[in-house]
Amino acid sequence: MKPIQKIPLEQIDLSDETFSVNFMPDLQRLRSSIEERGLIQPVLLREKGDRYQIVCGFRRISVYHELGNPEIEARVFKEKEMDDLGLFCVSLHENLTTRGFNTLEKAIALDKLVHYFQIDPIVLIKTFLPLFSLEPHEKILKTYLSLARMENEVKSYILEEEVSRSNIRILSHFNSEDRMALLPLFSSLKLGENRLREMLTLLEEISQRDQIRVKDIIHRPEIQAILSQKEFTPSQKTELVKKGLIDFRYPKMRQMEKGFEKKRRDLNLPPHLSLHHQPFFEGGGLRIEFQFETMEEFRSILSSLSVLPEKKEFQEMFEVGKDQSIAHSL
Amino acid sequence: MLPFQIEKIYLDEKAENDWVSQAVLKGLPNTPVERVQDKRSLIKQYLSMQDPIGVGKTHLLLTHFYGRRLKPCPGTSSHICCGYHVINAMTNCPMDCSYCVLQGYLNNPFLTLYTNWDDLLQEIDTFLSGNFGSFLRLGTGELSDSLALDSIFPISQVLIPFFAQRSNGILELKTKSDEVDHLLHLNHQGKTVVSWSLNPQKMIEEEEIRTASLRERIDVAKRCQRAGYPIGFHFDPIIYDEGWEKEYSETIEHLFSQIDPKRVIWISLGGFRYLSKLKGIAKERFPNTKIFLGELFPGKDAKFRYFKEIRVEMYQKMLGWLKGVNPDLFIYLCMESQEVWEKVFGWAPKNSHHLNQLFEKRVREFLK
Repeated sequence: MKPIQKIPLEQIDLSDETFSVNFMPDLQRLRSSIEERGLIQPVLLREKGDRYQIVCGFRRISVYHELGNPEIEARVFKEKEMDDLGLFCVSLHENLTTRGFNTLEKAIALDKLVHYFQIDPIVLIKTFLPLFSLEPHEKILKTYLSLARMENEVKSYILEEEVSRSNIRILSHFNSEDRMALLPLFSSLKLGENRLREMLTLLEEISQRDQIRVKDIIHRPEIQAILSQKEFTPSQKTELVKKGLIDFRYPKMRQMEKGFEKKRRDLNLPPHLSLHHQPFFEGGGLRIEFQFETMEEFRSILSSLSVLPEKKEFQEMFEVGKDQSIAHSL
Repeated sequence: MLPFQIEKIYLDEKAENDWVSQAVLKGLPNTPVERVQDKRSLIKQYLSMQDPIGVGKTHLLLTHFYGRRLKPCPGTSSHICCGYHVINAMTNCPMDCSYCVLQGYLNNPFLTLYTNWDDLLQEIDTFLSGNFGSFLRLGTGELSDSLALDSIFPISQVLIPFFAQRSNGILELKTKSDEVDHLLHLNHQGKTVVSWSLNPQKMIEEEEIRTASLRERIDVAKRCQRAGYPIGFHFDPIIYDEGWEKEYSETIEHLFSQIDPKRVIWISLGGFRYLSKLKGIAKERFPNTKIFLGELFPGKDAKFRYFKEIRVEMYQKMLGWLKGVNPDLFIYLCMESQEVWEKVFGWAPKNSHHLNQLFEKRVREFLK
C-alpha cells in the first residue's frame, strides 16, 4: 500500500459500489464531524486503470463531495496488490471496528459474499456470521439473504421499525407485490413486534387458505372502513384491524362468538355482572363475574342470578352442541 | 434394496460390539461409516443446519439408550388416553409427514437405532411379569414408524416372536409402510397387532412424503389379515378441509371393500393437533402445507386442536360411516376430552383407566 496521499475526488469512481454495503447511511453526524474536525481517518482506495475504486469510505467521500472539497486523504492499494475478496474483507473489518453494521448492511454484505464473491455457504456460516455477531446457523443466513433481495421501501421499513428476524422471515414468504401492499397498512397502524407477527401470520394464512392476494384482503371494505376513521388512534386502528383479520381467519369461531354475544345481550344482565364462556369454547361451563359496593347492589345481583336459569337464552348457552349426540357403544 | 437412502452411518464407539450394530453394518456394506466418540457434539453440529430434521432422515446413528426404554404413552392432562405403553427401540423416521410431532419433540435429528437390545427385551419381560393379571398394550410406533427401519435391522422379527410367547402383552406395530413380506411367515400367536395410519390419498400425496399410498397400505393390511394378524387402523390426524367428508367417506368405503371388519381389533380417530413449536418448524420445512389453515386453538394441555364444534362434527360423521360398515367395530378417540367423547358417542369413559379396561376387555374377547 502506498503512503497516505491526497487524491482528487474527480478521479474517484463514485458509481463503483463493489465494496459498498451502505444502506440508508445517516450522514448528518459524519458531516458535522468533518466540518468541525476534518477527516480523521483516511479513506481506502484501489487504483483501477487511471481512476480509483472506493474500498472503504463511501460515506466520507460522499460528504466530501457534498461539501465541495476537491480532494481527500487516502491510502491507496495498487491495482493487483490484493484481490476483490481480500479488499472486501478489509472494508468489512475496518467498518466493524468503527461504526458497525445495521441489519440491512449485514444482509447486503452476506448477499455479496454469496452471490458476488461466491463464498461457500458453509464457510460463510462458520466464518462470516460470527463476524457480524450472528449465530452460525444456516437459517439465519437464509433470512439475511432473503432480506437483501427485498424491495427498498420494505428494507427501509424494516430498518426504521427495527423489525425482528422472525418477522423478516415471515415477510420473506410474501411476494414483492404483497409486501409492497403491506406498507401503507402498517404505516397507519402502531405495530410492536408481537402485533406485527400476528398480523403477518393472519394475512399469510388467510391468503393461503382463500387463494387470494394480500392486497385484496387489505382492500376489503371492513378493513378500509377502520383505516379511514380519522378519530381512531393508530393503536385503536391496530386492535380493530387485528380483530377484523381474526374474524376472516376463524369464521366458525366468530359465528359462535356472535351467537354467544347475542344471547348475553338478550339476557339484559346488570352492569356489574358479566358472563363468559371457556376460552375458545373448549370445555363446558360458564363463568360469571360480579362486583358490588353496597349490600343493595349485592341483593340486586343475586336477584338477577336467581332468574337466569329460567331464561331461554341462558339455557341455550348450556345446550350448544348437545342435542346432536347419538349413543354408540365402543 | 432399501426403500430410502442412508447416506452415512454414525457408529457410537460404545455400540460397536453390539450384535445389532454388527447386523446393521453387515446389511449396509457400502454405506460410509464414521465412528463417533462424542455423539452430543455431532448432534449439536447437525442442529445448526437449516433443516436438521430433513438431513437426519438420511443419516443413521447406532448408539445406546440409557434409562427406561418402556414408558406410558405421555398423553396429556385433562384428556382421556388409552393407556398404551411406548417401547423406545428407535427414534425418528425416514418418512416425512408435515404434521409429524417428532419434528418438534426430538432433540436428536438422526434416524437412531438403539443397539442395546438385550437390555430392552429384559425390560419388557420384567414389565410384563410385574403386571401379571393385566393385559398390556405396547408399541414402537410413537417415536418412529414401527416398520421403518425393518429393512436395516429386523426389529419386528425380534419383537413379534418375543410377544408371541408372552401371555399378558400385545404388541402394536403402527405404520404407513407397505413392507410386510418379512412379517407374514412369523409365528405371532395373534399377539401382534399390525396397524396402519390412514388418510385420503390426496392428503397422503400432499402431507405424507415417502409413505406408501392408501391403496398399498390397504393391500398389505389385507395380506396381514390373511396371515392371521389382528389389524388396526388409525384415522389420525384427521385433517379438516374443504371436501374432507367426501375424501374420508370414500377412504372408509375403499378400506372395507378390502378388509373384513370383524378381524379389525380397533380403530382410532384423532383430529390434527400440535404443540405451538411444531408450527414454525413444519412451515419452514413444508412451505405449502395446508394443515395449519384450519381453525385450531390451544387447549388446557397447550396443544392446538380444531375448534370443538369442528372436532365433534368430524368424529360424529366418521363414527357414522364406520358403524355403518359394522356396528361392532371398536372405535375410540385419541387424546380427547370427556365432553367430546360424550358428544360423539353419547357416553364417555370415566377416565383413562376406564378406557384402558375397555381395551383389555376388547383384546381378551378378540383373541378368543
